[in-house]
Amino acid sequence: MKYAYYPGCVAKSTAPELYNSTALIAQKLGIELVELTAASCCGAGVTNEGNSFLNTVLNARTFAMAENMGLNILTICSTCQGVMRQVQWQLDNDPKLFGKTNEALAEINMKYQGRVKIKHLLWALIEDYGLDKLVQQVVKPLKGLKIAPFYGCYILRPVEALQYESHEKPTSFERLITALGGEPVEYDGKTKCCGFPILFVQRSTAFEMASTYLNNARQAKADLMVTPCPLCHISLDLYQKKAQSQAGFDINLPVIHLSQMVGYALGLEPEKLGFSKHMISTAKVLREL
Amino acid sequence: MTAQEAVFRILRYNPERDASRRYETYRVKIDNRMTVLDALEDIKHEQDASLSFRRSCRSGICGSCAMKVNSLAKLACKTRVVTEVENHGEVLVEPMDNMPLIRDLVVDMNEFWREIDRGTPWLEWDNTLEGSSKENLLTNEQQQVSGRLADCIMCGCCFSDCVSRIFDKNFAGPASLAKVHRLVADPRDKVGANRVPALVGLGLWACTHCYFCWSQCPRDVRPVAAISVLRALSFKQGDESHGARHVNAFMNSIERTGMLNEATLYLRTMGWTTIRDFDLILKMAVKGKAPLPFPRPVPKIDEIRSIFRLAHEVKEK
Repeated sequence: MKYAYYPGCVAKSTAPELYNSTALIAQKLGIELVELTAASCCGAGVTNEGNSFLNTVLNARTFAMAENMGLNILTICSTCQGVMRQVQWQLDNDPKLFGKTNEALAEINMKYQGRVKIKHLLWALIEDYGLDKLVQQVVKPLKGLKIAPFYGCYILRPVEALQYESHEKPTSFERLITALGGEPVEYDGKTKCCGFPILFVQRSTAFEMASTYLNNARQAKADLMVTPCPLCHISLDLYQKKAQSQAGFDINLPVIHLSQMVGYALGLEPEKLGFSKHMISTAKVLREL
Repeated sequence: MTAQEAVFRILRYNPERDASRRYETYRVKIDNRMTVLDALEDIKHEQDASLSFRRSCRSGICGSCAMKVNSLAKLACKTRVVTEVENHGEVLVEPMDNMPLIRDLVVDMNEFWREIDRGTPWLEWDNTLEGSSKENLLTNEQQQVSGRLADCIMCGCCFSDCVSRIFDKNFAGPASLAKVHRLVADPRDKVGANRVPALVGLGLWACTHCYFCWSQCPRDVRPVAAISVLRALSFKQGDESHGARHVNAFMNSIERTGMLNEATLYLRTMGWTTIRDFDLILKMAVKGKAPLPFPRPVPKIDEIRSIFRLAHEVKEK
């Protein structure tokens, strides 16, 4: 397995634990990651609100880079995944836009052909690596651990663009948790918004979203929340204490990245996986394991 | 066609009789073609005449039978029972969210209509247009821009499932903003793009892109995409609210370094209020995860800057 690796901006700045843990699990599982170091930011659903054509061409350039390498793209951020798949879906279904985009790319001697596949790590582990094979690699099963999967939005909707699973009753995350020996927790909010997209615009509303869904997971007896999106992680972990003080109730729920959860089950050192990098301590969960 | 039985768990509430909401369970004989509305009619006629719900056309046009089926807003007449049973094992039926409950599955939609009204949802006829004394036809191309948006049947599904609306009662909601875009895109409307400056007050930047309005719309109106277009117009018109500043900071960061620089993004969007998070920034620094204030541009940054130049030229045209 070999991918054109697109870690995204957050893994390269405020979530180094996501970047490092992904590198470690890839090595352990024999997945080769060739990083797209010259790729640009995907725009995170924001750039298209300044200039949508710019957003399309920037992402098409990233696709073209992967196509030149003859590889499919691997993402570790739901937002990157959602934005890139949406751009690709628009290009695939709008010949006029496809032509116009390639005209722009021709100026930098590039061409998007429409061949590349874009996969989030969650999907790649299920589709390409295979959960049966992954189960055999588990040395420290997440036994007795109640895990709340937080899908969020961009890895599920719009379903037409992502073309992976139903947003109404997604199962991929739960299947992964079960394969690693953990117990997925059902709660209201796992497919809702973490609040991050409006954190800088309407802070108190964003805090309300985060605290509500974190608390729902807490009430459902979750020991831990896991997210496939570092932007959700900012809202749910980095800002959890602030959201909690606005809400006026105690949450204190550790939130880790998907790659860290996989890494732990594969027997990698929690310290190397960056378990101490979170604002909400993971020490109690690790002790119980 | 195989006959089988489905379990319906329905929210019941009669303000004259019930102190609080409760759920009642019904068993209904179903076949492959049966819709949730068919089943509700069966229950009402054969098991419990007191069950209240709205319905009219039975063919996905009137929007009356919007309700939550297995936790998401749908038209009961367009939702097949077997699909629900396959996905969820049972059919949980509840009234829509974000609107007050009147009785059983019937909600008071005044709140929804008030929000639609806030967007002044009528065409301001441009009588200076040629031939405007008679009918004024749109070209196919003009029709395509507003066509999807004009398909809205005002059922309220998007409003019910809107995550922002749950927490922010100033946000006018997806249907209201989609309607505004429908008029902005209509060349017969003399207000047109001048409708945009008022939208910040309607919560233009409060949408989180959760995409529930896209996924739950029975007419595929895609309100979230309309909101993005309105934001782009507002940005172009010199909007200086936090939302527009965020867009600007994002674009600047990518143009300079190719990547998103969280440090400058934060400062440029939030301004002096950044000080509120000084404690957090310190903690991040201790944990080695504070963003660098001056990151190096990615390799081949010239390509990215060329794309910016080209895209701005295309936009100007």
